[in-house]
Amino acid sequence: MCPDSNLEMLMARYQEGDFAAATALVEGISPQLHRFFVAQLASRSDADDLLQETWLRIHRVRHTYRSGEPVLPWFYAIARHVRVDHYRKAIRTRVHEQRLEEISTAAATVSGKGRPPDDLRDVLAPLPESQREVIEMLKVAGMSLEEVARATSTSVGSVKQKAHRAYRKLRETMSAMGSRKGQSGGQA
Amino acid sequence: MIDREIDETLKRVSQTPHAVEPVLLGSIADSVKATLQPVRCLPPTWILACGLALLCAAVAVAGAARAGFYGVEKMNSLQLMLFFPVLTILIAVAATEFVNAMIPGSLRKLSPSALLATNCAVLVGVLGLLFRDYRTEHFLSAGIICLLTGFLHAIPAGLLCWLMLRRGFAVNSVSAGLVAGTLAGLAGVGVLELHCANFEAAHLLVWHTAVVPVSGAAGAVLAWALRWQGGRIAEASAQRTPMS
Repeated sequence: MCPDSNLEMLMARYQEGDFAAATALVEGISPQLHRFFVAQLASRSDADDLLQETWLRIHRVRHTYRSGEPVLPWFYAIARHVRVDHYRKAIRTRVHEQRLEEISTAAATVSGKGRPPDDLRDVLAPLPESQREVIEMLKVAGMSLEEVARATSTSVGSVKQKAHRAYRKLRETMSAMGSRKGQSGGQA
Repeated sequence: MIDREIDETLKRVSQTPHAVEPVLLGSIADSVKATLQPVRCLPPTWILACGLALLCAAVAVAGAARAGFYGVEKMNSLQLMLFFPVLTILIAVAATEFVNAMIPGSLRKLSPSALLATNCAVLVGVLGLLFRDYRTEHFLSAGIICLLTGFLHAIPAGLLCWLMLRRGFAVNSVSAGLVAGTLAGLAGVGVLELHCANFEAAHLLVWHTAVVPVSGAAGAVLAWALRWQGGRIAEASAQRTPMS
């Protein structure tokens, strides 16, 4: 992960039309954004598509970044927008095809067939989408509360509340998993 | 399970390397290179917010100049000194929030609905405090005229504000539409207070204040319709594009 000041400098050069800076940003930020999409229960190929779409948007609106502002929330805000857009399109497509199954049911099948297991996705799977993205940004991307609030267009208080609820849910899930493991271990 | 253990689990999973296909990164870099040119960044938030506030003030003054400054001429000095500064502050706050809604990664101090509610509450409070004529003559007929006048002036204010921030990018277009509508509605209230000489408290509290939520709702609905239309167009073009 690049330090924030380095990202700011690269972003400024990217805005000036420097291809080397653009490539460095693509290589530095993409794994983080890709992981963000995968953590939101996207398949790997969906995450690839979302990443490409995100970079198209980033490139189109790169003038909206102002130097001195935090870089990561800017990237994540656009990535989040692309993901929400993708989710809406998926719903519309499903309506057109008259499929009755719920999109969330399909998405929540974490260890589905043909999907490689991913630890982070497994850990965050029990959480609702809004809490999952907050935990991913706070604990995996290492963003501060204010940066997460910027990326999600909410207040710091709201981010704190979502993180608190997510931790409560994770505590319950992990405790349940631990007790199940204990029981099966006892039987063996 | 305690929070520290959850933190450790998350730390462990976050430290596992997550690679992206080099081919994918290469194709992204190539697509960026194809249209890479220097860009002019947006000005700082305060400059854009001042511009928006000036636009709203210009629309309010122009509207009142066309219809007549009857309201402001009839106001006493206390009403003049209290109402217009409060309206200016509300416009400044709404303008700042609109700029934040149009720039990704900006820190939002108020949610769009809280902004709308705060504006309505402050307007009701100030108008209720300053205007104490409790008669209600021609409540409905006079009220609807004022609501329409305010809303019709909010439309150009909203359009001009959107034009000014057309280079921005709203990550949530509906909430940006709600904020833009609220800001434009405040310009509409400005026109009414400069023009309308009906100082009945009920008229002011209901019909003048109503311009803000009506305009805000119109902004949100318009943004939603544009987003829906954009989605349909994108979908249709994707269906027309042959699969590779």
